[in-house]
Amino acid sequence: MRRHADHLYAVIVRFTGDPGEAEEVVQEAFLRAWRGVGRFERRSQFFTWLYRIGLNEAKRRAGRRPPSDPLSVEEGALAQTADLRHAPEPRAEQHDLRAVLEHAVRALPEAYRAPLILRDVEGLTTEEAAEIMGLKEAAFKSRLHRARLRVRDAVDAYLGDDER
Amino acid sequence: MRLREMRPSFIRDHMWTRRHLPEYLDGELDGEDRRRVEEHAHLCPKCRRLVATLLQTLEGLRALHEAPAGATSSISDSVIDRLRRESS
Repeated sequence: MRRHADHLYAVIVRFTGDPGEAEEVVQEAFLRAWRGVGRFERRSQFFTWLYRIGLNEAKRRAGRRPPSDPLSVEEGALAQTADLRHAPEPRAEQHDLRAVLEHAVRALPEAYRAPLILRDVEGLTTEEAAEIMGLKEAAFKSRLHRARLRVRDAVDAYLGDDER
Repeated sequence: MRLREMRPSFIRDHMWTRRHLPEYLDGELDGEDRRRVEEHAHLCPKCRRLVATLLQTLEGLRALHEAPAGATSSISDSVIDRLRRESS
């Protein structure tokens, strides 16, 4: 249970960008799972069912809020990188790239953000992540690739456009 | 545009590479098809940059997993507390 809670929290905090809200979402997901365990279909794994409940709860809460981040992926990444490009140390550069990635992931539309977090950050298989999203694998892969290309654009902008 | 980039075989490989990039990134192409992507990327600066930055992006995203976005030490305790409160 602790392992599932930690992993779900890692997904949700990246999805929402808000540790406090992520904690509430994880609590709510476990509560709903506990109340609805009779509806759990054993053809899926427990954790994919739990993650699905958690992501749906996070999306439901996000839908109640007005949009808070007006930056596009590209604008956000450039805003992040403007002061970071001159960082001299490799360690600092890695840290800066991480900041660019974090921002770019958060700037993705919800429909793209969740597939990327599940597959590329958390390392779930395509099959597991598609099941959580309730998508067929082909549709999941299409969303994932679009998400990767958007985040890649932010990385490309950070690395510089000398070769363009 | 360079002369080689106007050749039908180059354009064919370019389109094929773009179409199969997701499978390439996920290691789902067999050896011959991987080589086709890599050989084209070697000749095509745009694809070379795209593939290189996508691979760098994926490496960076995987590294995020090792750097949690927030403290997780108390999360399972807070879940247990909530379940206890709701069940009592």
